[in-house]
This record gives sequence, structure tokens and C-alpha cells, in this order.
Amino acid sequence: MKILIIEDEKELLATMKSFLESERYICETANSYFAAEDCLSAFDYDIIILDLTLPGGEGLNLIKLIKERNKQAGLLIVSARNSLDDKLKGLDMGADDYITKPFHLAELNSRVRSLLRRRQFNGDNKLIFNDIMINIDSGEVFVNESLIDLTRKEYEILVYLIVNRNKVITREALAEHVWGDNISYADNFDFIYSHIKNIRKKIEIMNGRNYIQNIYGIGYKFSER
Amino acid sequence: MRLLQKTNRAYFLISLTTLIIAGVVIYFVLSFILRDNLNENLVSDIEVVKKSIEKNKVLPNYYPYIEVVEVPQQLVRPSLSIDTLIFDKAENEMVPYRQISLVTEINGKKYFIAARDTLLEKSDLLATIVIVTGLVFILLLIILYYVNRRLSMKIWQPFYKTLDELKKFSHDNPEFRLTSLSDTDEFRELNNTLDKLTQRILTDYQSLKRFTEDASHEIQTPLAVIQSKLETLMQDPELKKGQAELLSSAYSYTLKVSKLTQILLLLTKIANDQFPDKKQVNFSQLIEEKESMLADIINEKKLEIKKDISSEVFLETNLILAESLVMNLLGNAIRHCLTSTTIYIILNNNRFEITNSGTPLSVPPEKLFERFYKADKSSESHGLGLSIVNEICSVNKWEINYKYENDRHKFIVIF
Repeated sequence: MKILIIEDEKELLATMKSFLESERYICETANSYFAAEDCLSAFDYDIIILDLTLPGGEGLNLIKLIKERNKQAGLLIVSARNSLDDKLKGLDMGADDYITKPFHLAELNSRVRSLLRRRQFNGDNKLIFNDIMINIDSGEVFVNESLIDLTRKEYEILVYLIVNRNKVITREALAEHVWGDNISYADNFDFIYSHIKNIRKKIEIMNGRNYIQNIYGIGYKFSER
Repeated sequence: MRLLQKTNRAYFLISLTTLIIAGVVIYFVLSFILRDNLNENLVSDIEVVKKSIEKNKVLPNYYPYIEVVEVPQQLVRPSLSIDTLIFDKAENEMVPYRQISLVTEINGKKYFIAARDTLLEKSDLLATIVIVTGLVFILLLIILYYVNRRLSMKIWQPFYKTLDELKKFSHDNPEFRLTSLSDTDEFRELNNTLDKLTQRILTDYQSLKRFTEDASHEIQTPLAVIQSKLETLMQDPELKKGQAELLSSAYSYTLKVSKLTQILLLLTKIANDQFPDKKQVNFSQLIEEKESMLADIINEKKLEIKKDISSEVFLETNLILAESLVMNLLGNAIRHCLTSTTIYIILNNNRFEITNSGTPLSVPPEKLFERFYKADKSSESHGLGLSIVNEICSVNKWEINYKYENDRHKFIVIF
């Protein structure tokens, strides 16, 4: 899978690149409008991550170019502007998704994954981790081939954790992904813990293993220990 | 009050006082002149009577106008001019008369001669004057009203035109110019000043808008870098417990700063009226939605929510702002509510009320809506939620009130 990251902030670009590379993507980068133009005219990409505020040109103009040259690529817009205008304009012009700065790396990963899933028409829409299998299309979760019944929130948490397997996920990133901005009204994250507990219990009943580790003071990690 | 009404009122009062004073003066002058005239007539009447007695030796008697009586020789009386009342049989009432009388000697005999004439009754005089002044007053008012109206339409017309144009002024239209012209110096000056002022507002507004956007962008990018670096660092499996704690704390404060800048940007946008798209928003549905979004937090705190929500309450407003209003008020209630208590929500076409338990405020309630105000300094809240609510209410011209009753905090939005 080949990803082009267009971002003018070098440090952010480097972190995004190394994070996505650790997820086994091939990443190319462009840090200006012109560099992006060069990459786009020379190569094909599966996913393009585009920062809308670039030196040397308005990022929205690049969308047009991407739609001409890299029609099949999934386009994820990143911007510090959380103005609805830009979001709608970007989506109108053919962007597939929109993420606002600053974002959680796990969230970026999750968005890239779901974009890829949507691109692959004949690809499998199954998320598999050892004895756990999730059918993304139907929203069903199987442990050792038996269906388990998860609530909407539990399902979203589990998918997020598995997509970001072997990565430490902060409680904040998890909460924001599942509960959105509403999370800022909570005084603590205790309710996340009770959902995690339920997921573990439901997996355990079907003799599944407990892959969800607590990372002290930070959050959770879904891995095989 | 309109300008025309004000000038009319002033004219009315001035004409009224002037005419009242004039009426009083006219009354006194007129009665003085009339009396003087009457006296002269009576004096000449007496002279005529004297001559007639001298010549004809007959005493004329036209009571009550002329009265002549022969009196004893030794009687001496000065000549008198007095007002007197005489009974009038025809009208069956006492009628005032002016009387001049004297005692004089004609052909060796002494006579008392009195000449009288009716005084115009005072009340009659007064009534006449009042009626005449009243008529003049009404005539004056009518003339003033029409002249004034014509003048105000003609002279003030450029002013009203300027006013109409100014009403169309909006931040969203950078092309705005005042076009109305006038040959009146004052209006021309007013137009020029207003034109400069509006141009100034527009450029200031544009640069402020750009500044807030740029500032937010400039702050969010470094924050994004910090956040991503911290998240990368967290992946380190060798991380010790103490390091993880430091990292986690730095991380959560980074998120807080980023949230703060986003909210400040939102506040600026609301205040600048940058949420123009209005539509009919179903508040009844909105409240249910937001409540279910917060369900986990509500359950965690063991809260009960009692609702009295009229169905299908639609309000014309911006959807994002409506969501933000409901979310902030509900979130505020949940945050400050004591555990295992009840939150009451009332919604109808006139108002949205939300009540939660809690300790009384430590500061005056009007501080509640100020930016960065926090009831509890240690609280996780950013202290901007109620400022947002206040700002949203003010752009929608809704009224927000706060009350503390029976150990409960109550917020009321009146639509």
C-alpha cells in the first residue's frame, strides 16, 4: 500500500511517516505545493494525505489535480482549520475524509484503514487477530468462530484497538474516537474502563484470549503480549 | 420617539403656552378698553341728560339706563363711577352694570343723575377669548404639522436614506459603500464620516478574522507536532512507570491547550456571526440525541434525567450552534451535579430549562458567563462552556438566566 503525505510541517511529517511505516505502509512525502505536484504527476498512490494549508498554493487546488491524475486514490484531508466551510468544500471537491489538527496518530491510522477498506471493492472486509474475527460490513464479531454480542460502543472500541494493534492507545484518543467531542464533559475516563471490562468478559466466555492490556497511566494496548 | 413627533410635541407645547399667555393679556387689555369706552359714553350720556333737563324741564327716565331723581338741596355727593348689579326682570337674573352718578344743580334744583350701561358679562368675554384662541391654536397646529411633515420629508430624506443603507451593513459584505448624497452640509459630513467608519470596521473585521484563523493554525500545528511526538514516545515498551506518568500528564495538558484554542476560535466565530446558515432545528429531537450521546457519563455518575419536553419544538437557528448550546448546558449540568441525583429538563416553545443539584455558587451569578470562569478551580472544565452558551443566546437574541433555588442550579433559555 502506497501513501503520499503532503504536509509542510517537517516534524509532523516525519512522525506521521514513521508511524504509518510501522504499520507497513510505503510512504512518500511532499512538503510543499510544488513537491506535491511533482509526486502526483509521476506516481500512483492508494492513499493521499493532504494538508490544506501549504506554502506556495492553496491545498484545495491540489484536490483538483489529485482527482485528475490519481482518481483511484483515497483522499484524506488534514487541516488546522476546523471551519465547516473548508471541510464541506474539501468533501464537495472529492475528498473522502477529513481530519483536524492536532489529531491522534491512532486516529489517523484508523481513518487510513477505513479508507483503504472502502477502496478495495473485492478485498476482504474482515479484521482478523488470531482467534478474533470482525466482519466490518455486517458489524459482527466472532471469537473462535462463535458470534459475540457487543454493544455499539464496545464494537467501536474493539475495532479501534485491533486496527491499531501492537500500539499504545491513549485513553484520550480512544474516548475521542468513540464518543467524539462530547468526551470533554466527562470528569474522568472510568466509563471507558467499564466498557473494556465488558469486552474482555464477552471474549472470555467464548474462550478467547485477553489481548487488551492496560498501560499504566496512559491507556490500552491490543497485542499478543 | 420619531423626530417629527418630537418637533411636533415641542411646537404644541410652545404654541399652547404662548396662546394661554396671549389669552390672559388679551382678556385684561380688552376689559380695560371696554370699561374705558363705557365710562366715556356714560359721561357723555350724563351731559346730554343735563342739557335736556335744562332745556325741557322734564326729567327723563329710562330705567335702568338713565335715572334722574330730585334730591334735597342740602345733599352733597361726589360723582361716583361703580360697578353694580341690577335685577333684570326679562332675564330673571342679576345683570352687571357700569354706573356713573353725580348730584348736580340745574335751574336751582338739585338732581341725582345716574347713567348705566350693561357690562359685557366677564364669563362671556372669557368664553369668547378662549374660543378664539382655541381656534387659532388648532389652526396653528394643523399648519405646523403639515409644514413640518413636508419639511421633514424633504430635508431629512437624505438622512433616512443613509439610515436605510446602514441597516444593510454587514460584516459579510466587504463591498459595502454608502451611496446617498445630500446638499446639506451636515448630512454630507455625516455620510462621509459613516462611510469612513464602515470601511474601517470592514478592514478591521477582515484582519481580525484572518488573525484568529492564522493564530489558531499557527498554534494547532506545533501542538499537533507535540502530540504526535508524545504519542510516538508512548510506544516505547521500555517506558518506566514514572516516565509514563510524566508523559501522560504532558500529553493531557497538550490536549487541553488544543481544546482551548479550538473553543476560543469557536467563540470568536460565534461573536462574529460566522454561522449564518439558519434552518428549522428540531430542539426536542436534539435534546434526546445529546442525552444519548452523554449516556455513558450520565450512567457513570448514576444520574437520573427527568424530562418534560414538548414534541416538535422547532426553532430557526444554526444547527451547529443549537447543538453546541444544548451540549454545553447539558454537559455543564452533568459536570456540576452531585452523584446519584436528578437533572430536570423542560422544553417548550418558549423556553429551555435545565436544573441540577449542587452547592451554591461562591461568586456572584453574573460572573458565571464570563470567559475562563470556573466554580471549582481544580475542575477539569475549561471554563468556556457557559461563555459559549451566552454568546449563542446573544446572536440568536435569546435570553439566558440563572437561578439558584432549593439547592438547585437552574439555567433558563427564553426563546
